[in-house]
Amino acid sequence: MRSRTRKLSHPIMSLLGNKRWQFISIPLFAIVCSFIAASIIILIMGKNPLSAFYSLLQGGGFLPKPNYAAYKSVFTDFMDTMDALAVMILASLSVVAAFRAGLFNIGVSGQMLLSGFVATVLIGYSDLPSAIAKPLVIVIGIVVGALVGALIGYLKHKFNINEVVAAIMLNYLFQYTISYVINTRLADPVSRQSREISTAARLTLVGVQLGGIKMRVPLAIILAILCAIALLLFFTKTKQGYEMKAVGLNMVSSRYAGINTGKTTVVSMIMSGALAGLAGTSYYLGYYASIQPNVLSSTGFDSIAVALLGNSHPIGVIFSSLLITALSRGGTYMSSIVGIRQEISSLIVGIILLFSACGSYIRHIVDQYDYKSERGQS
Amino acid sequence: MRKDAYIVEMRRITKRFSGVAANEDVSLGIYKGEVFALLGENGAGKSTLMNILFGMYEPDEGEIWVRGGKVSIKSPNEAVRLDIAMVHQHFKLVENYTVTENIVLGMEPVKRLCGVLPMVDLKSANEKVRELSRRYGLEVDPTAKIEDLKVYARQRVEILKMLYREADILIFDEPTAVLTPQEISALLNIIKKLRDDGKTIILISHKLEEIKQVANRCAILKRGKLLDVLDVSTTSTATMAKLMVGHELSLDIEKPPACFGTTVLQVKNLTVENKQRFTVVNNVSFSIREGEIFAIAGVSGNGQLEVADAITGMCAVKSGNIILDDSDITHKSVRERNQAGISYIPEDRQQTGLILDFSLADNLALKRYHTPPFCNGMVLRKSAFSRYANELIGKYDIRGGGANGKARAMSGGNQQKAIVAREIELQSRLTIFVQPTQGLDIGAIMDIREKMIQQRNNGKAILLISLELDEVLACADTIGVMYNGAMINIAPADSISANEVGEYMMGVKKYEESYA
Repeated sequence: MRSRTRKLSHPIMSLLGNKRWQFISIPLFAIVCSFIAASIIILIMGKNPLSAFYSLLQGGGFLPKPNYAAYKSVFTDFMDTMDALAVMILASLSVVAAFRAGLFNIGVSGQMLLSGFVATVLIGYSDLPSAIAKPLVIVIGIVVGALVGALIGYLKHKFNINEVVAAIMLNYLFQYTISYVINTRLADPVSRQSREISTAARLTLVGVQLGGIKMRVPLAIILAILCAIALLLFFTKTKQGYEMKAVGLNMVSSRYAGINTGKTTVVSMIMSGALAGLAGTSYYLGYYASIQPNVLSSTGFDSIAVALLGNSHPIGVIFSSLLITALSRGGTYMSSIVGIRQEISSLIVGIILLFSACGSYIRHIVDQYDYKSERGQS
Repeated sequence: MRKDAYIVEMRRITKRFSGVAANEDVSLGIYKGEVFALLGENGAGKSTLMNILFGMYEPDEGEIWVRGGKVSIKSPNEAVRLDIAMVHQHFKLVENYTVTENIVLGMEPVKRLCGVLPMVDLKSANEKVRELSRRYGLEVDPTAKIEDLKVYARQRVEILKMLYREADILIFDEPTAVLTPQEISALLNIIKKLRDDGKTIILISHKLEEIKQVANRCAILKRGKLLDVLDVSTTSTATMAKLMVGHELSLDIEKPPACFGTTVLQVKNLTVENKQRFTVVNNVSFSIREGEIFAIAGVSGNGQLEVADAITGMCAVKSGNIILDDSDITHKSVRERNQAGISYIPEDRQQTGLILDFSLADNLALKRYHTPPFCNGMVLRKSAFSRYANELIGKYDIRGGGANGKARAMSGGNQQKAIVAREIELQSRLTIFVQPTQGLDIGAIMDIREKMIQQRNNGKAILLISLELDEVLACADTIGVMYNGAMINIAPADSISANEVGEYMMGVKKYEESYA
């Protein structure tokens, strides 16, 4: 019996056992497992999992729907997904930048909110032309986020205040202060959100007509991909990148090597904050054009798991962001077509994240198997 | 002798880890009431073999016979049931329990309060422990807490634990690695007493003198295979060493007479406090000259490590001065000290000396990555990293996964070689070696000591901090002894005997007496 299960599992295990490809094979394996688990759930509900997944892709704009409203096509949906994707990539890169130095930035949402708010107030309601307003929005996003990151990093370095605690407290501080200001000063009487910003300041071009189709053009997606590449180059090619990795892997050895660990901590949090700020402006002054009070964006929290799923690698994060964004965007359509509740698509996203968090456990099992199978042969 | 006289017999044992044989076709028999030694270099398979006997691993092939019957030992619990016990290198004791509580843990004697409530009968257990310790000369207070005990006393608790369980096959895994010379001879006496009492003892060691002193027979393992089983009384240590290493190896290193130059390092009235604000280095002063190996001897935990950390900037100085080549570096950063000319081979090679998840190339450049040719402004030049790594791999014979392999995957000896290579290549004025040969096999030990002496001959100043008296005596030009945070004696190596150093280390002989 035991040998039969070994025969069955052997090809999978030897596939996963290849160390060189583990960085991609293990996340893929986790995703496949989670889709199998999701299929079982959909089957139990009496629906066809294949048509569910098909409609999921249709909703995300990767496959054409049977019919579209006027001026819309599959490309319209796809560009909507790209808009959300830009925010997710930037937020996840923020998490990755902190992770690299062994820090955990759980305050991405708060940093997003503050920089989005500051940019909205300073630029969003001004009459500046597009060519000045847009770059200013980007710069303000980066600077505000970086300042928050610097504060968290400094508190950690100087007073040994855990960055998780500092970030969570700042999240509350920003959330409630900004909600107060929006509710009392900036609220739109109908939507109860902050008043819409000018189109000149918005990082997403809305209603662009191209070949008879109307669509959004998210400028932030270009920014996001550039940031991913820049971060990768920074990690692998620069002195600071080397120091950051060293500090993240072993604080004592880094000190022993003469690395200024305090400075490295602060720099890494500044980078993380700047990326979160950028995510914030592309969310509140791009994907949306207003700020909803009393709410922190869930993207800021999802980004932690997305960063893990992407192996904390700048380029990996682009793909994991794409997967998670596509799933959550397609969920609405899936629920209306197949007749399963939208919660199910959230459930699938949850299962994927759960499995991806088990990545190192899967690796452990594979390594164990490796050793056992060799013993079996002997 | 007839075969069934063996109390333990291991027949054709083979054990592989990831395809590499840790033990290959090893067969040996151990008689009742003898001290049987297992000798071999690091990684020769001694510990694996005994872990198989103790049920920690199952052999891939082969049989184990105990007291004439074939057994299958799947867990340490089953080994204990066969009256086999093991004292590991790292003790497994509950720190805040008393000696007796640790000893009875898992088989507590029960008495019933008012005839109903079950209670642990510590009083009778204390008595039994006291009786056992008296019988074998293992003096230790049954009511003392483990955290208050010194290392040798903790080891005694482990031995008592075996005796309390009435084990009669006792396995000792490198028991003397953590002990001072005086404690070692006490332990060897205990082992003899245990043998005279009819216990069978298996001693894992790579120290030839100990084996010569207590063992009856000795098995030599090399690369997982059994080379030979020797009668210790008729074999010289030189023969054993030759078999173990595989080639003739002189145990003495050639060390030309010292030729001291100007003073490189001066430590003046150094005082260091630990995190709990407890003084761990107390008013220590010494100096090291060019071409001098200054060795600090001492029992573990007497402030030696903190002296090294204070000199290298890893911990803060409370008061006093550290002067390197006429410039005061007491409050300089680690980087500034490195560049001023300090190399440091730390005690903990895995947690301090290396970043285990970095490649070997990244580790070898750990102290130079920020200078040309490794770095051009902000940008690293990876080609320089790999070129440098390959150069050092050849020059220092560092084996493992090559320049791009992770340091984690290398053996302890090669990890240490990498650190030594990196630090020596810095060409610093002062090199600090802390426990440089701990846990290494004879080949690697000799290699590192030779490198150290070569540095000295090249006119570098060397600070050697070692818990192994043999090492201090073999290498030092000047010996300082630390006890309780103070430097209680400094003397030229040729003017002081091993016994004297040992007495200073134990605090038997005090500073005043030596001048009286």
